[in-house]
Amino acid sequence: MKKEKKKSGGLPLSIIALVFVLVVIGGFWFYNTSRSASRPAANRATATSTPASPQQTAANAPLGAPVGVNMLGSPSAAVTVEEFADYQCGACASVHPTMKEIQSAYAGNRNFRFIFRHYPLSIPAHDKSYDAAVATEAAGLQGKFWQMQDQLFRNQQAWTSNPNYREIWAGYAENIGMDVEKFKTDLAGLQTKQRVDADLARGRALSVTSTPTVLINGRQIPFSEVNTTSLRRIIDAEIQQAASQSTSAGSNSTTVNAK
Amino acid sequence: MNEAEFTDDDAAGGVAKIPLIASLVALVGLADSVYLTISHFTSEPVPCSLIEGCEKVLSSPYAEFYGIPIAALGAAAYFVAFSLALLAAYGNRRLWTIFGLQIIVMATFTAWLLYLQAMVIGAFCQFCLISAGTTFTMLILFAISKFAGKDQIR
Repeated sequence: MKKEKKKSGGLPLSIIALVFVLVVIGGFWFYNTSRSASRPAANRATATSTPASPQQTAANAPLGAPVGVNMLGSPSAAVTVEEFADYQCGACASVHPTMKEIQSAYAGNRNFRFIFRHYPLSIPAHDKSYDAAVATEAAGLQGKFWQMQDQLFRNQQAWTSNPNYREIWAGYAENIGMDVEKFKTDLAGLQTKQRVDADLARGRALSVTSTPTVLINGRQIPFSEVNTTSLRRIIDAEIQQAASQSTSAGSNSTTVNAK
Repeated sequence: MNEAEFTDDDAAGGVAKIPLIASLVALVGLADSVYLTISHFTSEPVPCSLIEGCEKVLSSPYAEFYGIPIAALGAAAYFVAFSLALLAAYGNRRLWTIFGLQIIVMATFTAWLLYLQAMVIGAFCQFCLISAGTTFTMLILFAISKFAGKDQIR
């Protein structure tokens, strides 16, 4: 290569160096512009259009689980945040920290509850997501649903394309202090699958087509608003509304979608 | 392999056409894969959907290879291909052979990526298809230079 360099002069090498510099500078510039362009969009706090009577639709959809299963917060809360998610979905894993922030921000607030719904998408790239949902339910039978969910979302890249994913999950089960043998048995059991199917049925009835789908009191929140700032704003407004309703109209504010 | 496609005279005066065209095609591939790499890091996560689209491919677990975005590997490969083709255009015929070997590897990998898009992910991504197009174009150019006579190279 060096011999040829001398022979053909420095022109091609100069062009190569120039292209390299251009790619680095151009890439850096593009990286910065696309970052600054995408940020405000994600945090944009626009008034969202509310579909007609979403509460009614949510109330009519079959329940995914008995109240109290895969739920955090107060069963009689006025504000219900419901998340439909798929464990093989990258976007679900990326909003998982947001969901955890929301859960901890309103922990202890008697007006707030969070319900997780399984919605494994039946698409080729999500070949393990149904099993993953069943795995969290198997963990739930040992009281470790949220811990297992955490493991699956945080380590999504590690198991999602690994053929030995069940062994990896067994490792997670061990890490979070579960009885691994029981976990494996429950993974194959009918009870856990029925739970997942019930959530799926509810999602279908609510016309969920993508994950994550977040509903607040039955109203679907656009994905661009699924960030801590926007969600807190919406939840606060709902809590306030519920509070003013209960003070003005007595105490008749039954929650709509889980009772 | 026969390395008499273009002579050392090329270096002195003219520039070998096929390698030059190949280097330009590699530039297109380079720009495309740099765009895809940056999109990989900057784009907001896209919801997963029952109705699949382009975003599915870039946000699929197959978009990374041991933590490195496939697009970044592509960018590096295109840069090397561009450099080899350009140096070959200026007369370094040995590098043209190395270029050819690299392109064969790249085309094989591209075929695998196309298979993943079609059969596993079930969605195509247009910028990934552009990349596939540039790789196969370079492969064809290399094949032409190997099978066509010496006269047609310049």
